[in-house]
Amino acid sequence: MTDAEQAREEVADFQKQIGALREEIGRVIVGNREVIDGVLSCMLGSSHALLEGVPGLGKTMLVRTLANVLGLEFSRIQFTPDLMPADIIGTVVLDESAGGARTLEFRRGPIFANIVLADEVNRATPKTQSALLEAMQEHRVTVGRTTHVISEPYFVLATQNPLEMEGTYPLPEAQLDRFFYKLSVPFPSRDELHAIIDRTTTAQHVEVKRVLTRQQILDMQALVRRVPVARHVQDYAIRVLQATHPNAEEAPELVKRFVRTGASPRGAQAMLLGAKVRALFDGRFAASIDDVKASALSALRHRVLLSFEGEAEGVAADQVISEIIKKLPGSKE
Amino acid sequence: MAPSDGIAQLRRAARRAGRRAHAAAVFSRIALLLPLPLAYAVLVLTFVKTHWLPASSQRAWWLLGGVPLVVFLFGVGRVLFARRPSWQGSIALDQFHGFHDRVTSALSFSQLPDAERTPLMQAAIEDGVALAQQLDPRRAVPLAFPRELGVAFALLLGLCGLSLLEVQHVRQLPPPPSFEPMVMSADDIDLFREVGKDLQAKNDDPNALVAVHRFNQLVEDIAEHRLDRHEVFQRMGELERDLKDNLELDRDARDDGLKGLARELSKSGLSRTAAQALDEKRLADAEKALRELAEKLKKKEGRPSASELDKLRQALEKASRSSEERAKSIDQRRRELEEEHKSLLKKKKDKPDGGAPPDLDKKLADNERRLEHLDREKSRAERSQKQMSELDKQLAQAARDLMRDAGQSAQDLEQGAQDINRMAKQETSEEQKRELLKKLQEMRELMRQQGKGGKDQRERMQKFGQRARGQSGAGQGQPGDGQSEGQQGGKKNGPLRLGSGPGSVPIDIQVPVTQSGQGQGQPGGDKPGGSDPAASQNYGTGHDANLAGNATDLKGKTTDVTAAGVDTGQGVAASQVIFGAAERGFVGRGYKQVFTDYQTVAERALSQDEIPSGYRFYVRRYFQLIRPRE
Repeated sequence: MTDAEQAREEVADFQKQIGALREEIGRVIVGNREVIDGVLSCMLGSSHALLEGVPGLGKTMLVRTLANVLGLEFSRIQFTPDLMPADIIGTVVLDESAGGARTLEFRRGPIFANIVLADEVNRATPKTQSALLEAMQEHRVTVGRTTHVISEPYFVLATQNPLEMEGTYPLPEAQLDRFFYKLSVPFPSRDELHAIIDRTTTAQHVEVKRVLTRQQILDMQALVRRVPVARHVQDYAIRVLQATHPNAEEAPELVKRFVRTGASPRGAQAMLLGAKVRALFDGRFAASIDDVKASALSALRHRVLLSFEGEAEGVAADQVISEIIKKLPGSKE
Repeated sequence: MAPSDGIAQLRRAARRAGRRAHAAAVFSRIALLLPLPLAYAVLVLTFVKTHWLPASSQRAWWLLGGVPLVVFLFGVGRVLFARRPSWQGSIALDQFHGFHDRVTSALSFSQLPDAERTPLMQAAIEDGVALAQQLDPRRAVPLAFPRELGVAFALLLGLCGLSLLEVQHVRQLPPPPSFEPMVMSADDIDLFREVGKDLQAKNDDPNALVAVHRFNQLVEDIAEHRLDRHEVFQRMGELERDLKDNLELDRDARDDGLKGLARELSKSGLSRTAAQALDEKRLADAEKALRELAEKLKKKEGRPSASELDKLRQALEKASRSSEERAKSIDQRRRELEEEHKSLLKKKKDKPDGGAPPDLDKKLADNERRLEHLDREKSRAERSQKQMSELDKQLAQAARDLMRDAGQSAQDLEQGAQDINRMAKQETSEEQKRELLKKLQEMRELMRQQGKGGKDQRERMQKFGQRARGQSGAGQGQPGDGQSEGQQGGKKNGPLRLGSGPGSVPIDIQVPVTQSGQGQGQPGGDKPGGSDPAASQNYGTGHDANLAGNATDLKGKTTDVTAAGVDTGQGVAASQVIFGAAERGFVGRGYKQVFTDYQTVAERALSQDEIPSGYRFYVRRYFQLIRPRE
């Protein structure tokens, strides 16, 4: 078997596994295909996701189901204003053995799981948020003089409610940038609501089965990194990123008027990694411009900061990014 | 299909699609920019056809059309020669077929060396190659007809149509130049008529009279509105030139002749008085002195001695030849100088290459100047000789007769005196010509001033003239009859009919009557008779037959008594006269007297004081305007 054939097989396996994963999640979660794909993209891109949506849309259910399907260790942290960093990281306690010997032992907090659900992350104080975000970035936690490594795969899903802003601590831009995608959970359609009601108001109990192993997930993450990106696709992603900056040559008028700061290079990384995942979802061997376009909204919406005028005019980041995608030609080189 | 063949096929398809995309872009740009020069051409052609643009500027407008043409060419050239994006064709194919960049990625990865290709890249290449058969560049990049090209086509049609269209144009020809007569106020016309009459009366020189006649004719032509401004100035210029012509030369020549005559006559004691008067240009005194000398020669008693007579004879003889000799001397000097000049020219001609003396050219130039000067002097001497010829003849005859018969010589001297008298008259005539020249200049200045003021000033002058004559500006009334004391406000110089005695003839005299009807006429109601002497001698002889008794005998003894009037100092003061003139117009004897006094003083000041010529005009003009009117 040639390398190409092997690669083709790997991609086919990937597609198959993703299909199985989607099917299993779909048994619990109704609709929300885009959000599920977004969450999977984040996980396969070895990064984290921020879910935004009003309460009751199944955000927690989605994450819990994902953890069950993947057979990974899952923990949920409900962020509150009095939550302390130690509450999520863990703490050193004095442990007395049966022989009466006393030792200091580090008790791991909920952050030490493969999938962490940080529910309503904006309700905790910045100090606690920082503790979480440090672990997200470094995949390790340092307590005292000891560094504790978090086992892979490590995937944090944070949620926040866009409506209740009172008593919250909005995540600073630098911390928002750590999230691979920001996914908006839409309100379900009528058909979806029927399905939700049917599943949740009857005695029917759905048990999901584990479809992927830890190793398979790590292999899939590695495959994503190996997906090639043609130069023109990469160039397009970079041009989209540049166009989010008001001073850029290709920035549309909307950006020049209403954007204060454009996305950081992490935005381009997120767009391209997301594009790679989407190519694999479709069974393709290379990412395309369409894939970049598809991932642009989720990858950039939390990285584009609007100006006061933009806020006053009620312009949304999604609107700005859509304008960029619409105006920017596919090829310039 | 081998991967290399497949890649080649992909490249061909991508290139073709790229070319089509490029052509489409060029067509689109042409369609976008072509209306610009076409619209300009349509616009200019429309203006040209409708004669909105003058012919002189049409070329400039057409040349300006180069600007939109350059914009068009530059815009199209920029697209035509622009570097095409590398993957333009393949991306277009991917987008059209919905291949998600599989073709473009395959082409992109195929450019990498084999060693750098990953298995996934190789798989992507093979994936792309597998699509090669499905590619259709023609459908992927259609060469559509740009919508804007319709506009350009419409403009082109319009341009063709306009170029074939002939717009009839009615050319407005300028109206023929209208005759605008030179208008001078009646007051000024009267003034210059008076000037002409005065000059005519004073002159008896035929040349001067011709000039005066031409002047009068000019004034009449202006009065009759027969001349326009240009013609008036032309006629004035011609008259002025004719008057000036030879006036100065004649005077100088006569002065030269008289001086030469005086120089020779002064050598004799008998003719010294006449010589001195001639030298000082006192021609009347010179005439008188010559007549006295002639009387002296006629008398038998107290005649001059023989030596004195001989000296006189010699003086008269030399004096008679002075003009002629002077002319001959000048002619001789000129001939000598001419010879010298010819010799110098010959010398120069013989040695053309620098062999001639260095100051030869300077001498030649100097000679030319002297020759010119002598020519002028010769002309002046000849003119002088001509003027003095009669006098010289008389003096020569007197010198010849003096030796034979002193009486005959005295007659010759008297004729010479008459000739001097003729010269004096000629001088007077020249003065009159100068006077006429002065009046011409005044007239020209007046017309210039009127030209500046325009119609308004003419109307003001007309009103002023009417007021100055004691008329109101409100039209011409009926002439008053004098006895009715001029009730109407029109022309008030009405005839006053006087005298109603028996045998008398009524006479009409012009009496200036004021606007209020209080005339200044002579109180002639008690004057008997009229202007008929026969009738006036029969006054008081008539007798009414119905009256009883004899007529009164008038042949009584009467004595003529003459009484001289005494100025009591109780007359009207000058200020009152001027005040009256301001109210009633510049008429009346009293005003005339005051005006004459004032004008005399003003003229004296003008002649004695240093007054700019411009001011002189205004002062004289002022006095002309306030002069007494009939």
